[in-house]
Formats: sequence, structure tokens, C-alpha cells
Amino acid sequence: MATSFATYLRNIFDTAATVFEGMAVTCSHFVRRPSTVQYPDRTAVRVQDTLPFRYRGILEVDLEICTGCLACERACPIDCIVIDAPKDKQTRQMLLTRFDIDIAKCMYCGLCSEPCPTGAIHHTPEFEGADFSLESMVRRYVKEPVAAYKPKKVETDPVVAPILERGMRYLEEFASPDGGPTPAEPDEAESAA
Amino acid sequence: MSLAGFEVEVEQVGQSGLETEEMTLNMGPQHPSTHGVLRFVVKADGEVMRQAIPDVGYLHRSIEKISEKVGYHGFMPYTDRVDYVAAMFCNQGWGMVSEKLGGIAVPKRGEYCRVIAAELNRIASHLLSVGTMVLDIGAITPFFHAFREREKINDLLEELCGARLTYNYMRIGGVAWDLPPGYAEKVTAFLDRFEPMLEEYDDLISANALYVGRCAGVAVVSAEEAVNYNLVGPNLRASGVRYDVRRDEPYSVYPELEFDVPVGPGAHGVLGDSYARYAVRIREMTESIKILRQCFRQMPDGPVIAKVPRKFKPPAGDAYIRVESARGDMGWYAVSDGTEYPYRCKVRTGSFAAMAIIDKLSQGLMLADLVTVIASLDIVAPEVDR
Amino acid sequence: MQDFLDGLIEQGTFGHAPAQVVYAIGIVAVAAIVIFGFVLNVAGVTTFIERRVWARIQSRIGPNRVGPQGILQWLADGIKLLMKEEVIPAQADPRLFKLAPYVVTMGFVAAFVAIPFSSALVAADLNVGILYITAVTSLVVVGILMAGWASNNKWSLIGGIRAAAQIVSYEIPAALSIFPIVLITGTLSTQGIIRAQGWAPWSWFLFYNPFTFVAFWILFTALLAEGNRTPFDLPEAESELVAGFVTEYSGARYLFFFLVEWGNLYVISAVLVTLFLGGWQVPFALSDHPVVRNLLQFLTFFAKAYFGVILMMWIRATLPRIRVDQLMSTCWKYLVPIAFANFVGTAVWVAIWPNGNRPVWYLMTAGGFALLGYFFYRVGFHLRRSGAQLLLSPFS
Repeated sequence: MATSFATYLRNIFDTAATVFEGMAVTCSHFVRRPSTVQYPDRTAVRVQDTLPFRYRGILEVDLEICTGCLACERACPIDCIVIDAPKDKQTRQMLLTRFDIDIAKCMYCGLCSEPCPTGAIHHTPEFEGADFSLESMVRRYVKEPVAAYKPKKVETDPVVAPILERGMRYLEEFASPDGGPTPAEPDEAESAA
Repeated sequence: MSLAGFEVEVEQVGQSGLETEEMTLNMGPQHPSTHGVLRFVVKADGEVMRQAIPDVGYLHRSIEKISEKVGYHGFMPYTDRVDYVAAMFCNQGWGMVSEKLGGIAVPKRGEYCRVIAAELNRIASHLLSVGTMVLDIGAITPFFHAFREREKINDLLEELCGARLTYNYMRIGGVAWDLPPGYAEKVTAFLDRFEPMLEEYDDLISANALYVGRCAGVAVVSAEEAVNYNLVGPNLRASGVRYDVRRDEPYSVYPELEFDVPVGPGAHGVLGDSYARYAVRIREMTESIKILRQCFRQMPDGPVIAKVPRKFKPPAGDAYIRVESARGDMGWYAVSDGTEYPYRCKVRTGSFAAMAIIDKLSQGLMLADLVTVIASLDIVAPEVDR
Repeated sequence: MQDFLDGLIEQGTFGHAPAQVVYAIGIVAVAAIVIFGFVLNVAGVTTFIERRVWARIQSRIGPNRVGPQGILQWLADGIKLLMKEEVIPAQADPRLFKLAPYVVTMGFVAAFVAIPFSSALVAADLNVGILYITAVTSLVVVGILMAGWASNNKWSLIGGIRAAAQIVSYEIPAALSIFPIVLITGTLSTQGIIRAQGWAPWSWFLFYNPFTFVAFWILFTALLAEGNRTPFDLPEAESELVAGFVTEYSGARYLFFFLVEWGNLYVISAVLVTLFLGGWQVPFALSDHPVVRNLLQFLTFFAKAYFGVILMMWIRATLPRIRVDQLMSTCWKYLVPIAFANFVGTAVWVAIWPNGNRPVWYLMTAGGFALLGYFFYRVGFHLRRSGAQLLLSPFS
């Protein structure tokens, strides 16, 4: 195909001009501050501390305020939460004997922390869960059987109160069709959005 | 002989008495530039291709089947994985189809939150698309610049919903979290810094004569072909067909927003070539910036999610909705049988349709152009295989 | 080098050893010094510097962990490659497969014979220096074709064939662009060409006349293509052919190809500096003492050549690669005719002004500096528009 001499010259000039401009852009980048930071040893603060409050990292359970309602186990779409909450025959109290979360299966979707009435199960900013053994991927939160938490109108226990407050603050982040959540009874928690 | 189920013939192509053979190459599932696990069986005569047969299925994860086991609410995080590059649109699609089945109306503020998240994700997805396109063509720097901007969007979305790729931000009936305090200022500040970056990107690579030479005129798709082959999104608009689901079958709050739909060729090249598809994406990013600014100005107050029962049991029936994903018209179809588990769910994605046209487009192209074509059609493997 | 050895023989340093033996040992000694002292180290450090340069252009940091500022990264990479298992594909042609890296390295290292480091440091001041360099670097094509064919891999074959077509084609504009300089100086010897220039930019052949200015850019482009560098790196296009003709190579064999590619940058740059940028010329007034003067000349040459290397890395970071047919058409339709025009133009110029046209020379220099000034103006524009923070230090 024959190109006219004008087109020929135009091609040469275009190539030279655009290459020149491209080189100017990259040269300008050469003297700019890089936008990456050396992880993990040369970051200014620990990365986990810079993450937003809503960050969905590895799950954690505050057994002090877990009511044993199993809402999280039902909500989990990938069945990574296993809870055993039998009723103790003598004391007629609900006991928590097993609360295992398999963080290798977990897909960090947050569907378990939404229906929790007290915010016991919540995401932490921790994201470094890599380890050498498959067994360490199952986080077992119950060391010895504990009684499930019974939510009260006003919590007075000095150990439990701050934990509950933190849990409720976590739940407040979630949207709801009407106002914020309150530590509801397990059956009420089921019908909340 | 049979190759992966395809009948492959070894022809003797003779010209001026010289006996030559067609080469069958395998651009295999592991390849630095097939945008995921895709495989092509390429029949080439030297550098010129005769045919490039796509072989899909390497990333199939039975996502549609999983919906039948986890229920409507539980399926939302799985939709992120249908197209993890533009996950918000998949979330929105599933939310919308479930709402249509169940007759739920999303509050206005919830719709605005959805649009904000979706348009931010559109910018991020287009950045990835153009970044990897120029990377495949050989320019290594603009890729990093695009990803640097994408990182900032990821940070914004992380603040919004807690995750950077698989957002699970939307719920049936609205969105899971309202905008955090100060979000509008943060996003607007980002957009102000982002617009000059787009111009710089154009100066660096879009106008570059070598890049234009690689893309202009390559794999031209006429408007009729684009419609016949089911192309959608930027691929369709680059061929001159003015169709955008946000305009033609509006959903959510798009009727209240003013934006243009970029159609047609870029500053170089012809209608329907690879450069046009690239240019349409760059222009769409500018439009998304416009939409975002408007959203923040127009957002009303109020709840962001409607009341939806925990055991969501829509009445029996089926529903089909469309969203304009970053890759085009994404269709969601769900069939309900009255229980809390859907009977069947199906996703229609733009990338799957685009795979079909590669076979036709690759005839007569050079080997180096196959990569350009795949990249310009913005094919992502998770969408193709689900 | 030969005169130096002859002088030593006359002084009786080597006793009654025959001259041929002294020459042979001298050749091996010089080769060892040049290769192990200079070539391998420069090639290695260039890989590290390329990664740091690219990283800054791409808004990131680059390797900085292995040793202070990452300076030992190339050693770590080299040792790692040496320790890797050397896999030979079952159906590959074993003899060709094993021979290819050595052929390629031979072609590359042999070029250092005629490349001057300073006025006294040159392995052999051949009176056909530039011709020798052009000829010997073409040996690389043979090695690449062998690698592509012997790998028994269709993608490698395509890479090898592309490389052969590319290198052979671009020999023509490269040679044609060298001719104007030869016409001006009347000699092919590298030292002779450098001696015909001066230390100042207005006595470099780059600005001698508009034809040599264009010839410089054509030679630059053609040598980039010879070295398989972007925008001409199709033979090893990462996104298309995985790694082209070196796909099947691992371990020490891969290390050879690796070193040749990066070391070639220095050779290309050295050729350009010799021909167009004044070589090792330093102002005479700087020093009388031969050792100090030679040291300054060595440093000048090295600095200029290394700037050329960084320029090539910079170009690789900026530009995309062009397709095979575009490569061919660029060579035959654009570079060759223009190179011919330069050749004829310079011939006419030398006929009219045998000693050079000083005013034009100065004018061209001024124009060159004006272009450089405009370039930095555009750099400033981009910096201002992006509003980015500056970090002028290369250390991070």
C-alpha cells in the first residue's frame, strides 16, 4: 500500500513526538516519591492498626457475651463455624462446649457477625493467619465449657460490660431498617434484618 | 487427529511449490497473559493465525449450583466470586433479582449507596482492564500506574465495606453498611486527584504511536457482528451500537443521574477496533467520576436497607434482571419454588459471549494480535466459567 | 596491547620464552581480567540497576533487601540460577541445546576486544574496530536460532525465528548509520574515531551535521533491535511467548542468556558513545599525569556509556513492543531509506567541508540543548499537574 510522502513524514514525526512525551512522563515519575511502602519492617505503624474499623479480618469470639443462639452458625454460607451448646441437665443452663471456626474455610464475608445479638463474633483487623499446619487453621475458642451469656437490660458486671459495649458498637456499624440494635433475646434476633 | 475434542487437520498449504504445514500451538491455561485460566488451541501458518479455538472451563466452580444450597442471603458472598474484578455489580445483580422475586423495594439512600459502590468498582475494573491491556502489549509502566490508582479505590472500598476484592457489600433489600463518616470528602478528594492521573495516562500510552499501531485497525468488529455475537458493554459501544442498560433499561437511581454513554471510535483507529474498545473504557471512567460526584450531592438521608426476613421465602416464580457491569450487560435469572433456597440461578456474563467472537476475529491476525484481542475484549476467566 | 607486550619482551621480563607463548598468555590474561573484572560484573549490576530504575518509574521501590540498598541482589540471583537444576527437554537436540548459550556468550564477549575503555586501555586497537564489532555481535543470531530450534518447543521456535529475522534485518540500518562517521574520520578504528572528536558537546559527532544527528537515532533504534530490547523484544515477549527462545532454559544456561542480554546493553551504549558522543575524551587541561588522565578517561567513558544503558532501560519501561510485521516495515521502509539518505548527505557534506562546518556544528549543539531544555520543561509540567511529592534521592 502506498503512503504519500506527507503521511510518511507525519508517521515519523508522530512516533518521535509521542515517544518524547512518554519519556517525559516516565522521567517525571523517576523523581517522585514511590507510593509503595516496605512491608512489614519499614512501615510507620503496624498495618493492622491502620485498617478501618469495618475491616473483615480473621474472626474472633468473645465468649463472655456469647448467648449461644447459633445465629452465626446458621448464617454462615460455607459452614465453617461449629458450635456445641447443650443444655446442662443439672443447672438447666445453656453451656458452650465447642466453638470452632475454620479460618481456612472462612470467606470473610461478615454474614455471621451481622445477626449476632451482642457482637460476640466479630472480625478483627488481623489478616496474617498463615501457618505451617492445617490443624492451626481451626481456631478453637472454647477452652473449657462456659455458661452462655444471658443478656440483661443493663449490664453491670465490670468484666462483661466493656466487652458488651465494644460488641454493640461493632453491631452499630451495620445498617438496619430502623434504628440500631439492642441486645435482644435470641428469638428476637432471628427476625431482625 | 483429535486435540481436546476438536478435530484438527494438518493441511499442506502450498504456495509456489513450497510445502508448508500448519502449526498447532497451545496457548495453555498457564500463560502470562490470558487474563486468568483460559486456553486457546491456535492453528497458525507461521505468524498468521488461521483459527484460535477457545477451550473454557478451567475456572468453573459451580457457583450457580451452590446457590441452591446456601439460600438467598448466603449466596451474596458467592456472587462476588462470579466476577471478582467487578464484584459490586454481581452483588447488585443478585440483590436486584431476589428483590424482584420477593417484591422488596430498596430505600432511596440504599440505592444511592449501591450506585456509589458500583461506579467506584467500575473505575477500578476499567483500570485493571486497560492496565493489563497495555501490559500485554508490552508497556510495563502504565500497568503499575493504573494499579496505583486502583489501590486507592480499594482503600476507599475497604473503608466502606471492610474488604478489598470480595466486597459482599450489598444485601437483599439494600446495602449492609451506610457510608462511614467523612466518606464523601474522601471520595471527592480521590476523584480530584484521579482526573489528572487519567490525563497523564493518556499522555504516556494512549497517544503513543507504537501502541496505536498495535491496536488501531486490529480485530474490527462491525455493529452488526457485535449484535449477532452478543457482545455487550464497552465492546458493543466501541462498535457503534448505542446500548447501555443504565440508559435503555434503567434501574436503581440511574434515571436521576446525568451522564453520557461513550460510543464510537477513539482518537485513533476505526470504529470497532481494539483501540476503540480501549478508548471507550477510558472515557467511561470519566463518566463514572461524573456520576459519583452527582451521587454525593444528591443523596437523601434515610435507611439504607429494607426489612427482609432472615428466612427469605419469595413466592414461587422467576425473575430476570440486567445490570450494566463493567464488562457489559450482566443478566441474573433466578427461579424460586417458594422455599428459602432458590430452585435455579443463572448468570449471563459478557465475557462468555465475547469468547465466541475470538474464533472469528482471530482468522488472519498475527499471533501477537491474539493477545491484543483478548485484552481489548476485557475477558476475565471467572466470568467465563463461573 | 600488542605494543605493550612487545615492549615487555624487549625488556626481557619474560626471559627466553618465545613471543607466541607470551602473546597467548597475554590474551588469556586480558580476557580473564576483562571478562571477570568488568563484563560479568557490569552485566550483573545492570540487572539490579534496571530493576531499581524501573521500580522508581513505576512508583515503587525495587529490590532493597539483599545487602545495603539491595546491591547484592544480582549476586544472589546469579548464585540461585547456578544452583538450579538444569533441565533439558526430552525431545530436545542435546548438542545444539547445550551449545547455544556458549555461542551467544562468545558473540557478546568478543565485542569487548575493540571497545576502548580509555586512550591506553583497549584490548586490541584493531584498524577495523567498528567493522569487527558489528560482525562479531551478529554471532548472537546463530546462538538464538540454535536455542529456539533445539528447545523442541513451538513457542521457542517462533521466538528464535523472530529474533533471526529481526537481528539480520536491523544490521543494515546499523551499518549504514556507521558509515557517515567512517566517512568523516576516514578510519574504522575505534580509538581513531574517538581521537577525531573532542571532549565538549560541540565537538562530538552527534552534532556534526543534521545527517549524523539523525544517524545517531537510527543507530540507536537499530542497536536496540539487535539487542532484543523493547520496543523490539518480540523474541522474548513475556506476554506472548512466556520467554521466547529461552523458555526451556534453566540454571546456568539461562544465566548466560541473561548476562548476554544485559551486558549487550553496555556494548550497544559503548558503540554509540564511541561513534557519536566523544568517547573517553576529557579536557586536556585536567591532568598531565598519564595514570590520572587515563583514569578520568575511563570514568568519562563509563559514565557516558552507563547513561546510555539507563536510557535504554528507561525506554524499555516506557514503550510497548511492536509486532513482527511492523518491525520489518519500520526497518525496511523507514530506517533503511533514511540511513541511505544520511550516508549520501554526509558524503556530500564531507566533500564540501572536509574539516567539518564549525558554525553548523555549534548550531546543532545549541539545537540539541534546546531540545533537552524542552524535555525538562515537559517533565516539570507533568510533575506540576500530578501534584506528586518529589523524592530526588535514588536511595529508598
